[in-house]
Amino acid sequence: MESSLCKPWEHELSRRQLLGTATGAAMAAVGLGPLLQPTIANELKKKNKQVLFVWLDGGMSQLESWDPKPNTQFGGPFRAIPTSVPGIHISELLPNSAKQMHHLALIRSLCTQDNSHSAGVARIQRGDPKNRGVTYPYFGSAVAKLLGPGESNLPPYVWIKPGSGGFKHDDAGFLGPKFGALAFGDGLPPDNLLLHESITEQADDERDQLRQAANRRYAARRRKEVTEANSYVFEMARTLMKRQDLFDATKLDPRDVERYGTHEIGRHMLQARKMLEAGVTFVKVNSYGWDTHGDNFNGHASLVPKFDQAFGAIVEDLADRGMLEHVLVIAMSEFGRTPRINGHIGRDHWPEAWSLVMGGCGVREGIVVGQTNEKGTFVSTDEYDIGHMFHTWFRALGIDSTDIEYDNAGQPLPIAHDDMHVIEELLA
Amino acid sequence: MTDASTDLATRFEPKEYAILTADPQVFAARFHPSGKLLAAGGFDGRVRLWDLSTEEPKELPALTGHNGWIQAIAFSPDGQRLYAGDSWGKLSAWDMSGGEPQLVWSLDGAHDGWLRDLDVNADGSRLVTCGRDRVVRIWTTVDGAPLLEFRGHDTDVYSARFHPQQPFVVSGDDRGLVKQWSATDARVVREFDASVLYLEHRLQDVGGVRTLAFDRMGGQLAVGGTIPKNGATVQGTPSILMFDFETGELTHTLNLGDANHCFVHEIILHEEGFVMAVTSGTPGQGQVVFRRPGDEQPFFTTSKLSNCHSIHLHEPSGRLAVVATNRGSNGNGRQLGKDGEYAGNNSPIHLFRIAAALMERS
Repeated sequence: MESSLCKPWEHELSRRQLLGTATGAAMAAVGLGPLLQPTIANELKKKNKQVLFVWLDGGMSQLESWDPKPNTQFGGPFRAIPTSVPGIHISELLPNSAKQMHHLALIRSLCTQDNSHSAGVARIQRGDPKNRGVTYPYFGSAVAKLLGPGESNLPPYVWIKPGSGGFKHDDAGFLGPKFGALAFGDGLPPDNLLLHESITEQADDERDQLRQAANRRYAARRRKEVTEANSYVFEMARTLMKRQDLFDATKLDPRDVERYGTHEIGRHMLQARKMLEAGVTFVKVNSYGWDTHGDNFNGHASLVPKFDQAFGAIVEDLADRGMLEHVLVIAMSEFGRTPRINGHIGRDHWPEAWSLVMGGCGVREGIVVGQTNEKGTFVSTDEYDIGHMFHTWFRALGIDSTDIEYDNAGQPLPIAHDDMHVIEELLA
Repeated sequence: MTDASTDLATRFEPKEYAILTADPQVFAARFHPSGKLLAAGGFDGRVRLWDLSTEEPKELPALTGHNGWIQAIAFSPDGQRLYAGDSWGKLSAWDMSGGEPQLVWSLDGAHDGWLRDLDVNADGSRLVTCGRDRVVRIWTTVDGAPLLEFRGHDTDVYSARFHPQQPFVVSGDDRGLVKQWSATDARVVREFDASVLYLEHRLQDVGGVRTLAFDRMGGQLAVGGTIPKNGATVQGTPSILMFDFETGELTHTLNLGDANHCFVHEIILHEEGFVMAVTSGTPGQGQVVFRRPGDEQPFFTTSKLSNCHSIHLHEPSGRLAVVATNRGSNGNGRQLGKDGEYAGNNSPIHLFRIAAALMERS
């Protein structure tokens, strides 16, 4: 007689289950459309995983941050300081992060493939998979697709950045424009988010019904990907209209404002915490201006402490709130900087041996993975590329990157580099 | 060019006679008052020494015991002492009067972190230092005892100088603020606005007062840095602001190149009324520039030296030392030597003779 109890393996997410079909359009979860079947989507959604992705554009120096080599030929002027984890030392420019090291893991053995910004930024954020003639999604778009918006129904991929905002569909690659990033320029909401005072809710609903009817007619004659994205962005805007509290600076605790810093990255990181608290699946915080070919050391003396203030504060807060249980925190650049110090007292691009920091979501706490040689010039242990990191991050998010594939209009595509693997020692 | 400048160009044209190579790089090079010794503070925490008394300059054993970088270095006016400050905050004094330099005293925590600059007063009894901890301190040179502390800057203090004639100190910070202090009671006397040398760009504080210099009598104060255009790969116009120290008036703003030449790192105000300065650039390679403040153009300039970081004149002998950087010092990614090694850069120290001084003393 068959037991009515389900078997353990029935809860596992098989590759076949996950492949899904293009006809799965009825699925409600944003991001799981053509890829995953509803039951599996629900399994992933239940995990309610989130990501904070801090992107330091231009290339933070590993030697002035996570992998200091004081008193060596290329070590630079700064001291190393102890952290909350005995035996782990980082640059003196990171005193707040040092206090949070017991929540974090350092990877000091990154060796990636590109030393140019123009190709490197995208290559790193897309996970640098094997070339299959398609444009892969940025990590944020991938997570938006694979995890969806969760119960918050807020946009799944939010990008808090200096400068202008808007909907950045390029990030999504072959996933289609709706998996792009909703960017909040300077952390501010889109213009005219508030409903005009002359419009009642009822009038607004009626207008929306009219809009939807018009949209259906418009969509009937156009490519689905484009019209879906249009509708999606509009729906996101309507959702955000109900969450104006997320942008209300007057509700911020002044102590938090001070702790995070009133500078750009401090304000943006605090905004990111609010977004994560509200349930946004993937929040990217972007800082520009880290490409210090000249005056690197004064540049880092100015830049790193501001990053550190904001980063230390958010890690502390996520830990205090119990959110590190389900929020994966990553801070990185497109590469590190040369050990060699040039005549401009700068450091150039160096993908050969660099570092990133991560934590939360099952990442082992207070560890260092890999090391560079005495002078910091090359990796002296196993080298890890960005593909290894993608596998590891997906695993931390409950996504088995060896099993799940994208379905690009019938073309199965691995979600991370198929010759690379999870860095097991990073995960608990 | 004016007749006066033409005359200066003839008399002060520097003639290179030797190049010393410091590997790894060094910052400032300083002549001993006798002219027989050259000292330079290194990226490797050593004080490098060269004997200049022989026909061929000869490197001597380096002074050790420091950490990080040595950016601040000076001889006492009588040549008995050499002082050095490092980027971990250590300050040291060596007795240079005998054959072998002897450490006289050292202070591990003279500053919390990067000690940026130091200066010795005219009679050699006091040292002033400043650093990333935002503090300016005066010490007695006898034993390194602290005498006075200035806490008035809100940011990193890059440079500090004693007034050559009066009991004042000036110190300049990374926001372009120069403070004049009493060297007897730490009272702020006034401020000089050099904020044109500062820019907040994105997340970065860019520029600031990188160097200060008085003329021999202290009537003019020169404030050097860059008028920044952007952060990250910093670009800006290398500039010197000239102040009349009596009135506090800004008398000249000297732009010493285009935005590729970037920082003025060191200035000499020569007693014949002109400025000698060195710059380094991004992406340019910097220059050595001699210019009268009232002139439109320098009467001497060369960009043959790459990315210069210090200039020092030994006036009695007319010798000039300029610390530069080897050509081709920058580049992305893996660049290995022919033996497969990853080599660092070095600092050619260019030694010049200035004809005027030699003629006048012959």
